[in-house]
Formats: sequence, C-alpha cells, structure tokens
Amino acid sequence: MRFLHKKWRGASIVAVSFIVIFTGLLVFTQHNQSFYEDPIAEVKETTVVDEAEQTIDGEAVDTVYTQEIEAILKNGEHIGETITLINDYADSGVYHPEFTEGDQLFVTYDQTDNELTGDVIHVKRDHQLVWLSGLFLLVLIAVGKRRGVLAGVSLMVNILIISYALDVYIATQNISLLVIMSVAVVLMTAFSLLLISGFTYQTYAAITATILGTFSLMAITLSVLLLTDYQGLRFEEMDFLTRPPQAVFMAGVLIGALGAVMDVAVTIASTLFSLADKNRNISNRDLKQSGLEVGKDIMGTMTNILFFAYVSGAIPALLVYFSNGAPLGFTLSMNLSLELTRALAGGIGIVLTIPISLYTTIYFINRKRVSV
Amino acid sequence: MNALMILTLILFGLMVAIGGMKGLRSFIALFINFFVILLMTLMMIDQNANPVYLALAACVVISAVTLFFINESNVKTKTAFLATVLTTLLLVIFIQFMVEFVMVGGFSDEEVEGLTIYNFYVGINFVQVMASVVMMSTIGAVVDEAISISSPMYEIHRHHPDMSVKELFDSGMRIGRDLLGTSANTLFFAFFGGYLALLVRFKDFSYSFGQMLNAKVFSAEMVTILAAGIGVALIVPVTSILTAYILVRQQHKNKESTR
Repeated sequence: MRFLHKKWRGASIVAVSFIVIFTGLLVFTQHNQSFYEDPIAEVKETTVVDEAEQTIDGEAVDTVYTQEIEAILKNGEHIGETITLINDYADSGVYHPEFTEGDQLFVTYDQTDNELTGDVIHVKRDHQLVWLSGLFLLVLIAVGKRRGVLAGVSLMVNILIISYALDVYIATQNISLLVIMSVAVVLMTAFSLLLISGFTYQTYAAITATILGTFSLMAITLSVLLLTDYQGLRFEEMDFLTRPPQAVFMAGVLIGALGAVMDVAVTIASTLFSLADKNRNISNRDLKQSGLEVGKDIMGTMTNILFFAYVSGAIPALLVYFSNGAPLGFTLSMNLSLELTRALAGGIGIVLTIPISLYTTIYFINRKRVSV
Repeated sequence: MNALMILTLILFGLMVAIGGMKGLRSFIALFINFFVILLMTLMMIDQNANPVYLALAACVVISAVTLFFINESNVKTKTAFLATVLTTLLLVIFIQFMVEFVMVGGFSDEEVEGLTIYNFYVGINFVQVMASVVMMSTIGAVVDEAISISSPMYEIHRHHPDMSVKELFDSGMRIGRDLLGTSANTLFFAFFGGYLALLVRFKDFSYSFGQMLNAKVFSAEMVTILAAGIGVALIVPVTSILTAYILVRQQHKNKESTR
C-alpha cells in the first residue's frame, strides 16, 4: 500500500477490518444455533387459528390473534424436526409480535405421540443486533472519524468495567455495591477523559473535577434519602431484584450522572485552558468569569438531557396505568419517583460541577504556568 | 417533606445561586418539559392518535422551550431549532425501522411481571410507543449538541465574515466531532445508570451472555443506546450544513442591501 497516503492507509485499515469483522459476525449469528443451549426453531409456515376481540366497557379496542406456527428446530437432539408452536399476538403489538417465515425463535418443547409441540419464549435477536451495531459504528465513524472510533471504544470499555464491577459485587457479597461502583467511577472517568484529551493538565483538571462533582452529588443525594428515610420513593418497580433495591438504585444514580458530570467538566476545562493559552496574562478573576458564563449556558440543556433520558422510559407503563383508570397522583409516583430522583440527583451533580471545575481548572492552569 | 421535594428544592437553589436568571429559566424549562411529556402521554391514550406523530410534535415543543426560552430567539437558536427538527424527522425513520427489525415493541416478560393487575389490551400501538420512547430519550442530547455547534459557528462567522459555506461547514464538523464523544458518553452513562438494576438481575439469575443478549428487555435497551448514538452523530452534519448555509446567505443579503 505504498501508493496510499499515510492518512488514507489508516482509514483503509479501519474500513477493511470493519467489513471483515462485521461480515464475520453476521455470518456467525446466522449459523450459531448450535452454540445455544436453549432450543431454537425457524418459522416455516403460520396460520391464524383464532381471533378474539378485546373490549373495554363493551367497546372494541384491540384484537388478539392466535397463530399456529410450523417451525424447524435448528439445534439440540431434535435438530431438523418440525415443531408446532402457538403464539398470541395483538394488533397493538403490546406483548408478543406476529411471527413470519424466517424468524428464529427460542422455544420450549414437549414430545407427545411422536409430535413436537411447544411455546415461544422470545425471538433470537443477536443477528439483528449485529446489523444495528454495524450501522451505529458506521454512522459514528462517518461523522466523527477518529473521534467516532474513540466513542465506540469508550462505550465498549465502560460496559466491560461496569459488567466486571457487577461480577465482583455478586461474587463477594460482603463489599457494598456503592464502594465497588465508586472504584469503577474513578476508573471510567480516568479512562474516558484520557481517551478524549490525552495526558495533559487539562485532562487532569477534568478528571479531578468529575470525581469531586460525582462524589458531592452522591453525598447530597444519599444524605437526603437517608434523612427522609426514602420517603416518596416507590421501589416496587425494582421488586424483581433479589437484593435490597436501595443500594442498587444509588449505584445507578452514581453511574447515570457520571457522563453528564464529565461533559460539564470537560467543557469548562477546555474553555478555560484555551483562554489561558491565547492570553498568558489572563487573571484568575477573568477566567472565573468566563467559565461561569459557559456554565450558565450549558446548565439548562445538560439537565434536560438526563431528564429526558430517564423520564421517557416510563411512558409505556404510564399509558397502561392511565388506560386502566389509575389515578394521576398514584400513577406518577409509582412510575416516576425513581426516574425523577435520578434526574434531580444528576441535575444537582451537573450544577455543582460548574463551580468545582472552575476552581480545579484554575488550580491546574496555575500549576502549568509554574511548571512551564 | 419527602425526598423528591427536598432534592427539587436543592436543585432549584443551586441553579439560581450559580446560574442567576438563566438558572431560574433553566429550572422552569425543566418543569415545562415535564408537563409536555405528561400531556403527550395523556394524548397517546386516545386510540386514534398516532404515538409517533405525537412524540414528534412534543420534540418540536421541547426543543423550542429549551432553545428559545432558556436562551433567546436569535440566528443561533433558530438554526439549532431547525437542525433539531430535521434530525428528529430523519432519526424517527431509523428508529421505527430498528424497533420493528429487532422486534422490541411492547412490553417484555420482566416488565409485565410488575403490571399484572392491569389490562394491556388498551388499543394503543405499543410498537410505535416504543419508537416514541427511544426518540424522546435522545431529544435532550440532540438539542444540546445543535446549540453547542451553531453558537461557536456563529462566532467564527462573525470574526471571519468572508468564509465560504464549505469552510464554515468544515469548521462546524470539527466542533461537532469534538462534542460527539462527550455527548455520546453522557447518554450512554445515563442509560447504564437506569439499566443497572436489570443487569444485576441478569447476573443474579446467572443468565448466559447469549440469553441476556437475546432477551427482549436487553435488546430494547441496546436499540435505545444505538439509536441515541446515531442521533448525536446525525445532528452534527445537519447543524453544520444548515448553519453554514443560513449564515452565508444572510451575509450576502446584508451586502446587497448596503450596496
């Protein structure tokens, strides 16, 4: 590849490895049934055998169809055999979808009189997820180039850190989840911010501000929750946990706000450092003033990000409650109390991080001035 | 007093103390946006309403509140608004395709567990509801990026009024690229925080990697994360091209009128 410009060589290596990896994954997820322990069947033919109208107060609102599915098992001891499955789906798609030829499903089966019958557990989605991840990376890299690749890498590494931290939590039992997640927070902050701006004073300022900001948000939220004895928080939606939901919830608050806090710290640190680079004699007072202006500008939109990311998830449950005539106050407190707490705690973290990163950044700017 | 009220008061106090009038406006905007979501949800109950159209309308109102109420109405916020609306329209096509392709519409077994006393067949199309949820989760970040790109582009144009559309567009893309990583991170961590309980459950019941990956609730969250990533990436070129075009055209108009 001598004829290629150095810049293009890097790009073509990324492009080629991208295509190879994703083609490989797509082919693999199409043929990986034998790697699964649970039985998988591919839909061949479907017939609707029954349909029932769903009514509320005598008014038809939805239709539920029962479809009989002929499918071929793709793994296990009955591989290649035909199985008959039953699936209920509604026009509204509220629970199971309608299945069509080619869909691959995880199933359970019973054998009676040489005939296999069974139920659908859920859809095999790994192949589709690979397609979407490919699309996601493609858009990210097309727009962000090197930055897009880094965003993808950072996402994957952070998932691994969180996943490993949870493994440690489950394996040890006696270390508090909050302690483990605090360590994870420090690791993820350092990793993500070093990836963005390298080993510079600006990065150190952002890391310090993020860690201080996250832990102050933690201290405030935790003391409010403990002082009020979690009054107003409905943990019912976390009933599926086999452990105390409070600890898991607080760890979620900590992780959830981390990205936003990092964003604020990076924005302020990079603004102040570029001001200080342009004008070496700029006073601490002027730096503080400019930083505060930037902080005011981003405060509103940043708190909005967390607010929407959390509250939107509750919409489907809200719809079911409302449609069943549940009272407004009860519905909101059952479905939104945890989401709103997350958003509020995150907002407190965002706003607190503004002054915190102002002072830490000015401290690091002065250190840099002394050292240069 | 319950915990939520105290936290609300603390947030209010901090926003006003640090942000002054702008902080106050930002706090009020949060409240307005809450009522917009609530109103949208109440309107979705009507079986004849299309959830996706309602969510699109809500996104338009929300970006208007965030841009014009917290900031003010000027070229920067107007182009950011236009870019947000365009990106939302583009994104909704992606999202609807994604939700149907991975078949993650409606509720999962895990979610149904907690709702058993209620009737689910209420005539609302939950595949479209799911698409609306994904879009609404991303709108905050999309608006944030739009204004963070259009505002410095405006400053660059003010200092160098002779830059061409192409040059302005390139500088917009550079700014956007720098923002991309942190914006994506903000959303990713927000979602992880929300899903942590679910991950603990998966680990507790020792789901295999394959079982977890194919579970509806996990896939739905993957779709949300991937769609959010696509959203914060798409807004970058859309804002850059719109802002560059509008600023340069305005410049030409001004020149002609002074001649």
